[in-house]
Amino acid sequence: MLYHHHTKPISPKRVVILGASGFVSTALGRHLKAAGMEYRSVASSEVDLTQPESVAQLGAIFCEGDAIVMTSGLTPDKGRDVGTLMKNLSMAQHVGAALEQSLCSHLVYISSDAVYDGRESLIRENSIRQPSDLYSLMHIAREQILSFTSAKAKTPLCIFCPCAIYGAGDTHNSYGPNRFFRMASKDSKITLFGEGRETRDHVYIEDVARLLVQCLMYRSAGTINAASGEAVTFHDVATRIAGLIGPSIAVEFLPPGGAVTHRQFDVTERVRAFPDFNPTSLDEGLLETLTKVRNP
Amino acid sequence: MYNPMIAFVGLSHLGLLYATATAAKGFKVAGFDSSEALCEELCNARLPVSEPGLPELFERNRERLDFTADFSQLKECSLVFFALDVPTDSESRSDLSPLVALLEQGAGHLAPNATVVILSQVPPGFTRPISKGVLSGVRTVFYQVETLVFGSAVERAMNPERYIVGCQDPAAGFPALYGKWLEAFGCPVLPMRLESAELAKIAINLFLVSSVSTTNTLAEICEQIGADWGEIAPALRLDRRIGAHAYLSPGLGIAGGNLERDLCTVQQLAAQHGTEAGIISAWQLNSRYRRDWALRLLHRIVLSQSPDVRLAWWGLAYKQDTHSIKNSPSLALAEALGAYLKVGYDPQVKSLKKGVRNLELAATALDACCDATALVVMTPWREFRDIDLRRVRDLMRGNILIDPYGVLDAEACLAAGFRYFKLGS
Repeated sequence: MLYHHHTKPISPKRVVILGASGFVSTALGRHLKAAGMEYRSVASSEVDLTQPESVAQLGAIFCEGDAIVMTSGLTPDKGRDVGTLMKNLSMAQHVGAALEQSLCSHLVYISSDAVYDGRESLIRENSIRQPSDLYSLMHIAREQILSFTSAKAKTPLCIFCPCAIYGAGDTHNSYGPNRFFRMASKDSKITLFGEGRETRDHVYIEDVARLLVQCLMYRSAGTINAASGEAVTFHDVATRIAGLIGPSIAVEFLPPGGAVTHRQFDVTERVRAFPDFNPTSLDEGLLETLTKVRNP
Repeated sequence: MYNPMIAFVGLSHLGLLYATATAAKGFKVAGFDSSEALCEELCNARLPVSEPGLPELFERNRERLDFTADFSQLKECSLVFFALDVPTDSESRSDLSPLVALLEQGAGHLAPNATVVILSQVPPGFTRPISKGVLSGVRTVFYQVETLVFGSAVERAMNPERYIVGCQDPAAGFPALYGKWLEAFGCPVLPMRLESAELAKIAINLFLVSSVSTTNTLAEICEQIGADWGEIAPALRLDRRIGAHAYLSPGLGIAGGNLERDLCTVQQLAAQHGTEAGIISAWQLNSRYRRDWALRLLHRIVLSQSPDVRLAWWGLAYKQDTHSIKNSPSLALAEALGAYLKVGYDPQVKSLKKGVRNLELAATALDACCDATALVVMTPWREFRDIDLRRVRDLMRGNILIDPYGVLDAEACLAAGFRYFKLGS
């Protein structure tokens, strides 16, 4: 359940984004700027959240009434080992400690849909959280750490769980639309495991940023999944991308990587929380992505 | 002929229905309630509940019905039913304290040879301790299962399928007057131990929930794959293992309060006794999800398409033929859409104790439709079928008609120029 502390949208005094160069943090900064909202990004080069001294450094940055958005984290491409897990947990520990010493008005934690047990046919905010690897364990543990500290600090916490994000500016190369764009432009073909029959929900980065702005404006607390509600197969995504780029792009198949699994989201909670929020259709989002990639 | 007085204590929906049915079977009835005002209203034939056929049945048998808040008169009654409806909280947990208070209030006035029957919706394990505690001064205590259904309660009270009676000693038979009362309804009587009867009521409701949940799960799949549940349900009704009267109509989850209460009770019992009851949570989840069918649809085809939305809202009660709004999907949806203007109409619900943001009530169904972007039919009242759909369409700005239960004629809606949506197809 998401609970709004404001019945009408009100801009926070200032938004502090922890993480300055990531996919989500840059998109959020762009949207905050467009909305005329004051914000400040904190890069890892300025404050290394893995280090204990970051508590005091954040304490010096945080001001009364600030809304904090924590996007920082070492993603799986930086390491999937126990050391990475512990560094990620240290970050949450230090952010939580800084929060306890400040008078921030809101904390938004960017988690991941990896926290959910994928066996449910529809994932929703109260679905079972079940770690499948150290990365998902990290997010579950960070959610718990920040829930504990935000409760202690009496600061409303919004846990924001995006599903697979796509769009221009993605710094990762995970299997899905962004990798398909890269494959198409580099090799003139998109290669899918099996026949690409797995169904996934892909959310557009601009929608993620818009939804985050809504959560900040309403000072929302609780958990919300950022998903489009429109799940399609990887084959469908690949075909659409090939269609956008041109007839020279082939869609090819590799042997299946395992059992065909599906991952769909029940977006009722988002609809209830933000009834006027209208996600971008996959076709529109892919077209915009291509346009931005071609004209950065 | 001696016609002894039968007492009904607690005059909410349950007590009033059974009291009236008892009078209709020729017995003299005394209704007791702590509220003097309620008793006075009933003495003047002003009924606090809405139930088809009840005012007529009440009127026809008025000479055998008396109501009082004077509990000392209970000593004149050798058969006493305690029939207060047990309220539930927002989590569907039973609040037994009003019933216990009523039992305590009545117990001191009961004749020593009185037979007491508890009709209220009590959890398993309630009656036996009560019979040894508060009611230890009376001869026999029974628990009788009630299976009234809002909207058809008169029919079910007058012509029950069977009576399930929990007994302190199932082999001992019934006291004469209670036996005569049971016989008057001409249905099979199943005596059993108290705990079995208490659980039997819940068993009935859980089987209903399983049908409702299965229907809703499959109806949603129908919507996705181009099947029509309306074509499938008749095939199921012809299957003897499922049955002609099975709950096979797609709906917006479980509502009304009673089924939810029993789900909650079984969860509590399972937790207390360490039994597996994961399916209960699954049913609850399924119900909540299904309840929001119209919300998701409205968002997809109306709210996300137009900034200026005005919704015509037919039906507020949790189902037709009742004024009850307990766990009503209609009100849940209206609350979820607090930001949007809604103009509602319900044949029975004319006001709401707790207001809903941006929900206005209109005098007629047509009034509710003026300048509406979309019409949602959230309670399947039969009278909606008689409304001129072309007139409705002319009054509206938009052409969206969401009729989850399919109360309107789909072809007529399309002919009137509507985009028509219903559950299960």
